[in-house]
Amino acid sequence: MKDIDNIQLELLQATVNRVYKRVPFYKRQMDELDITPDDIKTLDDIRKLPFTTRDAFSKNYPYDLFAVPLRDIVRIHSLRGIDGTPVVIGYTRQDVGHRVEISKRFLTSCNVTRDDIVQICLDTGMSIAAHELKEGAEAIGALVIPPDPISLNAQIRIMIDFKTTTLISTPSYASLMLSCLKRELSSAAAISLKRIIVVGEAIDTRIRARWMEEFSVDTRAGYGISEVMGQGMAYECEAMNGLHLASDYFIAEIIDPETNQPLGHGEEGELAVTTLTNRANPLIRFKTGDVTRIIRGECPCGNPHVRIAPIQKRVDDIISIRGVKLSARTISWFLNEQLGSAPKFCLSISKDDPIERLELKIAISSEFFSGSLPELHHWLHRLEDAFQEKIGIQCAIIPTEERAIEEFHNNQVICH
Amino acid sequence: MLTIQNLYAQYGAITVLKNCSLHVDEGEIVTLIGANGAGKTTLLSTISGLIRPSKGNILFKGKDIVGLSPSKIVSCGITQVPEGREIFGPFTVRENLEIGAYLRHRKERDKTGIKRDMDYVFALFPRLKERMNQPAGLLSGGEQQMLAIARAFMGRPRLLLLDEPSLGLAPMLVNIILDTIKELNKEGLTILLVEQNARKALNVAHRGYVLETGRIVLHGASAELREDPEVKRAYLGKDYKDISERGQ
Repeated sequence: MKDIDNIQLELLQATVNRVYKRVPFYKRQMDELDITPDDIKTLDDIRKLPFTTRDAFSKNYPYDLFAVPLRDIVRIHSLRGIDGTPVVIGYTRQDVGHRVEISKRFLTSCNVTRDDIVQICLDTGMSIAAHELKEGAEAIGALVIPPDPISLNAQIRIMIDFKTTTLISTPSYASLMLSCLKRELSSAAAISLKRIIVVGEAIDTRIRARWMEEFSVDTRAGYGISEVMGQGMAYECEAMNGLHLASDYFIAEIIDPETNQPLGHGEEGELAVTTLTNRANPLIRFKTGDVTRIIRGECPCGNPHVRIAPIQKRVDDIISIRGVKLSARTISWFLNEQLGSAPKFCLSISKDDPIERLELKIAISSEFFSGSLPELHHWLHRLEDAFQEKIGIQCAIIPTEERAIEEFHNNQVICH
Repeated sequence: MLTIQNLYAQYGAITVLKNCSLHVDEGEIVTLIGANGAGKTTLLSTISGLIRPSKGNILFKGKDIVGLSPSKIVSCGITQVPEGREIFGPFTVRENLEIGAYLRHRKERDKTGIKRDMDYVFALFPRLKERMNQPAGLLSGGEQQMLAIARAFMGRPRLLLLDEPSLGLAPMLVNIILDTIKELNKEGLTILLVEQNARKALNVAHRGYVLETGRIVLHGASAELREDPEVKRAYLGKDYKDISERGQ
């Protein structure tokens, strides 16, 4: 048995022992399948364990998934679930340390050092990732400019004046910043940027090549899920051929999303992860919804951790816009919460370069429109502000005739 | 160096160890922490062949040692210092040490090596040198523990299993014993340590495993386990300054 397999098995057994004893949800799930911790004798025995879906978080809200007493929790993050139900993630002091360590390792692999000036530009919907990356960069000793809700122009000014060497952002926001910079500057040499670290979405290789050509910057990608381990769960090395999994912190499986059966090495399927070190919120076979495959063979960089292909799609209708995950269910929840009922809608996302724009068409009725246009404008502005606050991303809301929505895209999310 | 996989051990109908997997790398000090009856001593005795496991593998340097007699396991390079020392009371300190080196006498006739190691343990424990011609039964508890460790070292084991070395000793002697464990580790000896005094054990060990009713429930670096609220509450003594009582 290889060393890493050995350690993974020890940690898996300890995790299963803990959750079986301390989390009634997992005990029930295992009892239903007639599984006990004694059945986990090899790493392959993970396949005997039940899956955990995102619903488990809302069904066990707020604390029923915790495997430690509340007094051992030192931090709690509350996220919006896809259908609006809240999700709570608790961290013990050890969990905080592990998350800092995993972010630090990710950034170190991107060659960030204590000499770097790291500017983080992430939407509020990615605030947990932003916070953890900030802590990781600080642990390296770099100078960090954390995300602030300031305008694009102000971010660009900071990049120029503070001589940012490392930008951490989503590919789309980084694209927007660079295209504005290009317009503003006579020469790319006027900025000190050495690298862009992208998270939240997969990056197009053509964009990466363009950044290199126009600004001579390296690009590295990272992957993380806040509910599991945060950014750095997988990260690119200098070979930039797939993302190395942090297999000392979790076990990854690729499964068929329909049958839940494990897929062969190299086959594309849904990523399911089991945490090995999480103390507060251990997760057993958590179905991420992200589609990827294991990349065969050793990496030229020498890192022994296996690699996955960049995440390009999902198994469900959830889409990620600048790291913010949403689906038709999210929009229904939002409209219900704001208006008391959900009118028919169509959310369209234009992927026009350089940044995606969200446009939510909602069927307007006499219930919302009294006949006064100024009032309607005011009402729409308030709704847009609420969207930004609740969903974490800007969206234009356009009143439309119900018939027009029904004719085309009833309650759908369309990307074009 | 030592890899244990899915180990079960029982006394009659009672299963004491349940599906335990752990490893000790060469040059490490690894500690086992757990309440009384958690299975710590059983685990050591299963490794040294005194108890036969009901299931599971124990690999030492890649070779399965399950089913070997205790003496064969000693000759493989594993020596246990049992709880309660078990020194030979009527024999002198020097004779006890010579018994520890018995296999080297018989197999290797390594007289120079034995002499060198005898000098080394006397330098390590000057108290033993002072009393080398006295019957071991006349030594104090702390001195007997020193002798038990020194006797085990004389066999030049690769892996030392230490069971409760600080049991019944005065705090100052406990520190001397634990410092010696660190010293022996620096000499290249790999150590698996079972210790009631979890705080002190975690101060000398590199890594630790927490056993709870025969199952391993935690595994981590010592520094991490030392700060773990659960470990603190259960094994390090409750300290209300460290553990706040936020509502549950």
